[in-house]
Amino acid sequence: MSHRVMSGAGFETVVSAHHGEIFRYLQRVIGRADDADDLSQETFLRAYRAYHSLPGDANVRAWLFSIATNLAKNHFRGESRRRQAYSEVRASSREAVTVAPEAELLSRETSALVEGIVGRLPLKQRLAFTQRKVHGLDYEAIGRSLGCSPESARAHVFQAVRKIRQGLDGHGLLPEEPQR
Amino acid sequence: MSDKPAACLQIADDLLAAALGEAGQSAAQHVERHLTICATCRREFQGYRAVDGMLTALQEEPVPGGRLAQSRERLETRLADLRKRMLAYRIVPSPLGHILIARSELGISLVEYLDRGASVRASRLSHEPGVELVEDGGELEAASRELLEYLAGRRTRLEWPLDLRLARSDFQRTVLQATAAIPYGAVIPYAGIAQGVGKAAATRAVAQALRWNPLPIVIPCHRVIGSSGALTGYAGSKVGLKQRLLSLEGVPTAKRAGVLGIAPQAMYVLYPGDREYCVPTCPSLDTREPSPLVRFASRDVAEAAGLAPCTTCRPDLHPISR
Repeated sequence: MSHRVMSGAGFETVVSAHHGEIFRYLQRVIGRADDADDLSQETFLRAYRAYHSLPGDANVRAWLFSIATNLAKNHFRGESRRRQAYSEVRASSREAVTVAPEAELLSRETSALVEGIVGRLPLKQRLAFTQRKVHGLDYEAIGRSLGCSPESARAHVFQAVRKIRQGLDGHGLLPEEPQR
Repeated sequence: MSDKPAACLQIADDLLAAALGEAGQSAAQHVERHLTICATCRREFQGYRAVDGMLTALQEEPVPGGRLAQSRERLETRLADLRKRMLAYRIVPSPLGHILIARSELGISLVEYLDRGASVRASRLSHEPGVELVEDGGELEAASRELLEYLAGRRTRLEWPLDLRLARSDFQRTVLQATAAIPYGAVIPYAGIAQGVGKAAATRAVAQALRWNPLPIVIPCHRVIGSSGALTGYAGSKVGLKQRLLSLEGVPTAKRAGVLGIAPQAMYVLYPGDREYCVPTCPSLDTREPSPLVRFASRDVAEAAGLAPCTTCRPDLHPISR
């Protein structure tokens, strides 16, 4: 099996290519920019420690998401932090709305609404949903990051999408029930 | 309990998969057929399509650039620090016992005889402040193979990039660099190294520096001996290993009066600074200031080091008979 040579130069490109999206991922699932910052750094520090023993044909991106996901899960251990995180997610969504320019307000409102719902999803659904629908990872990778099968990963995503649809009902954003 | 018909419940997952564009061909066709006859599911499908459309907005939402750049900058700093401190190690079972090899991104930084078992906990690295150890992922495979070839006598050079940062001082680094230049099959007294680094009086300091050589074997401190020819010490109290390494290189050793040493009369010699090597009885040596001599196990070794036979004692015509 071929491995990566231990070198800063090789890892440089990994950081360049993925730091932004790992930061975004963590910010979305955690809600607090400060924590996302800390955890994204921790993700890459851990990755660097193990990078040299990563098989040459490994999917680096999925691997980074998996490290970040584990860190996010650890972050939420403990009920009080979880509760805090939910309210923070909602707070940061509102923040986003206030800075939006006039013309984008409607779509911003929709996003805020969606984000509010995502923020209230159970953690596994939120992690799976974000990996799938925001970052486009496949179920295989998502399952691995969550320690479950690809089928369970898909079930988490589907649950999340169903909840979002339910949550948007009655906001005039979805095709309505026909009037009787 | 849902009040949906069984047919609708059955395709619920496929319907959602199809709306998200993830359904396989036959499932998608099945859903399509169902939608032509079921208005409720059609609405549901359109609802999911609309949701899926909104989700693309999530993908595009930017993180404030300053925040991201700050985080990246902080990460680079911490990574640079980690890079400096991180060593990958591997423990190699060898004829000389378990040997730990460690490397940084700059090169091999430690070769260590493990006395207390084959565990990294026995390594001095586990007490080295600021060092972060990770298990080797394969990059030490070549080095450990070469080390074993060397110890089996099938290789005379270990051409590894070295990282001397575990050296304790600049003086030690200088001594190590001078020692690294001693050819295979040659020995030199501590005093010779001291002279070589421009500190002729610092023989004891040289011995101390080599006692803590972080890279034994590859920096061949086993080729540095006492002025009397005694092997003196090696890596603490492993003078037996020193003898084995020297024997491997063809350096004759013997125990005299309970002391392990080289057999000086069986080795060719070089006066410091000369370009010619001699037999140890060469008359030209008697006429010169006493100085620490380099000794060679064979003419081949001396000539491989770029030396010519002395024109006085003619070792090429009168080689040492053993």
